[in-house]
Amino acid sequence: MTETNIIQLQGIEKRFGKFVAVSDLSLDLREGEFFSLLGPSGCGKTTALRMIAGFQEPTEGKVLIDGQDMEGMPANKRPTNMVFQSYAIFPHLNVGNNVAYGLRNRGISKSEIDTRVKEALEMVELGGLEARGANELSGGQRQRVALARALVMRPKVLLLDEPLSALDKKLREQMQFEMRHLQQSLGITFVMVTHDQYEAMTMSDRIGVMFDGRLVQVDTPQTLYAKPGSREVASFIGEMNFLPAEVTAETGDTFSISTPGFGAMKIEANPNVARHGRHISVGIRPEQLEIARHKPDGYDGTVQGVVRDVAFYGENVHYHVGVEGLDKPIAASVPNYFHTVDHAPGDKVWLGVQAASVIDLGEDKQTS
Amino acid sequence: MTRPSGLVMYAIFYLAFLYLPVLLLPLFSFNDGTIVAFPIKGWTLEWYRQLGGQDTLLQALVNSLFVGFVSAVMATSMGLFAARAYVRYRFRGQEASEALVMLPLVIPGIIVASSMLVLFISMGLKPSLTAVMLGHTFLALPFSVSIMKSAFDDFDVSLEEAAYDLGSGVVETFRRVTLPIVAPGIVSSLLVTFTVSFDEFVLAFFLSGNQPTLPVYIWSQIRFPAKLPNTLALGSLLLLASVLLLVVAEYFRRRSTKSTL
Repeated sequence: MTETNIIQLQGIEKRFGKFVAVSDLSLDLREGEFFSLLGPSGCGKTTALRMIAGFQEPTEGKVLIDGQDMEGMPANKRPTNMVFQSYAIFPHLNVGNNVAYGLRNRGISKSEIDTRVKEALEMVELGGLEARGANELSGGQRQRVALARALVMRPKVLLLDEPLSALDKKLREQMQFEMRHLQQSLGITFVMVTHDQYEAMTMSDRIGVMFDGRLVQVDTPQTLYAKPGSREVASFIGEMNFLPAEVTAETGDTFSISTPGFGAMKIEANPNVARHGRHISVGIRPEQLEIARHKPDGYDGTVQGVVRDVAFYGENVHYHVGVEGLDKPIAASVPNYFHTVDHAPGDKVWLGVQAASVIDLGEDKQTS
Repeated sequence: MTRPSGLVMYAIFYLAFLYLPVLLLPLFSFNDGTIVAFPIKGWTLEWYRQLGGQDTLLQALVNSLFVGFVSAVMATSMGLFAARAYVRYRFRGQEASEALVMLPLVIPGIIVASSMLVLFISMGLKPSLTAVMLGHTFLALPFSVSIMKSAFDDFDVSLEEAAYDLGSGVVETFRRVTLPIVAPGIVSSLLVTFTVSFDEFVLAFFLSGNQPTLPVYIWSQIRFPAKLPNTLALGSLLLLASVLLLVVAEYFRRRSTKSTL
């Protein structure tokens, strides 16, 4: 992968009247990467995508594609193509003409158009369906046509607006892998907007998390999961138990902390977190916790509690354990190895955690 | 339900009251006699045959077709753009604008007719087919706008964006995507607005001057009892044509709402 930036967003802002949809967004996208903008609905991610596509002009800031300033450049002149959330398959054209639509704007010979349409349809596994009518397609096929129609243009960047949200779960999971493979074999930069964290995690090289029009963190899926930059990010991606902690000593990148229940531990400072104080928030992923009837050995922190709820998910079992001194029960998730549910509500259990699994989330805004 | 309820009886009576008088028109047009009264004297196609030879009638028919065609095209093209704006955009004065466009449906025809006559004459436009066309375009516009609005209601905005994204300019997008998708709505609007113009009397009576349209011609003939059976025959044909046009228009209107889903 070369390290050139195919898209540069330089402090872009979009206001609709008084409403700020996107504020001070700066972001560099590398050539050939699969990038996702992830956030809850209304966070401005779609607006950001539409500013790259050229459907909306930023109120402030610049969009550069391949080093070229896109100001005043309309969508039909930009080297980007888009897969729409509704797929926007032209209902009056058959599959072949849908895919050929953009090529016909370019004065390409008819024989070349036919070849490229054929290739594009084969690429999305719809080979030979040129004559199929737009209204005779299933949801998955519509999505493939939309992909082929955009990719046949050989864009520098493919933009995808919630491309899988209209599909059912099974098909969605299958398409996640297919789109990932397609992107890797073509080497085209994909920018996807989604509100589904799993979609973003499974498909992307990097993810940008947005809240309320602000880009709060850009990282690989693994880093976002292991070192979220804030409580907001930590709770949006995956599940997280939050605990208040008091910093008792600080040596270099290590904090000595004391938490209610688990007691004293030494944890690593999270480089993604901006501010620290005496009172910080720490997080523990449910699957990083050990749950046992007797006090487990070899853990840096242990605490006793009472099982409140048990939820059986099939692949794993979630226990909610009430611990003295904490308002909220702690969630622990155990893989379902032996088809047994070992603890029942009311049981007294022990929880154990390694210091390496305790994530520093910075200054605790709730207590300080 | 085994017995017709009171409401059903009421509906049947209501429909009969509305449409039976209309059916008298074709009935008497086949009557072999000049007096419109029962009993029927005998059956004949004579009145229809005689229609063919009347030059002033044919001229009035040509006038009506011409006025209807031009008004339909003008009202539909304006309605197309207006409806797209109403459905797609939110702008200042939108509600007022929509209300104004719909106004011709509720203003009494006689008021519109007399004010248009005064307006046109003061502008130097003599009563003529041109004046009738302008008047009919005004009357037909609300029909066109409502039909085109329903065509645009189910039209996914991202279809136009997709065309634009794939390299089409604004005009190309309109020609290659918007127009074909709303085409059934356009056909439906053309047929309905044509019918509105073709059947319209009051405005045409005020504005046509010495170039009568068909309804104006029919009115002028009704005063001569001997010509009455001819007029009945002509009226029956118009009735048939109008019903056919509206049925076809409704077919296209429904197709336009289905095709974009």
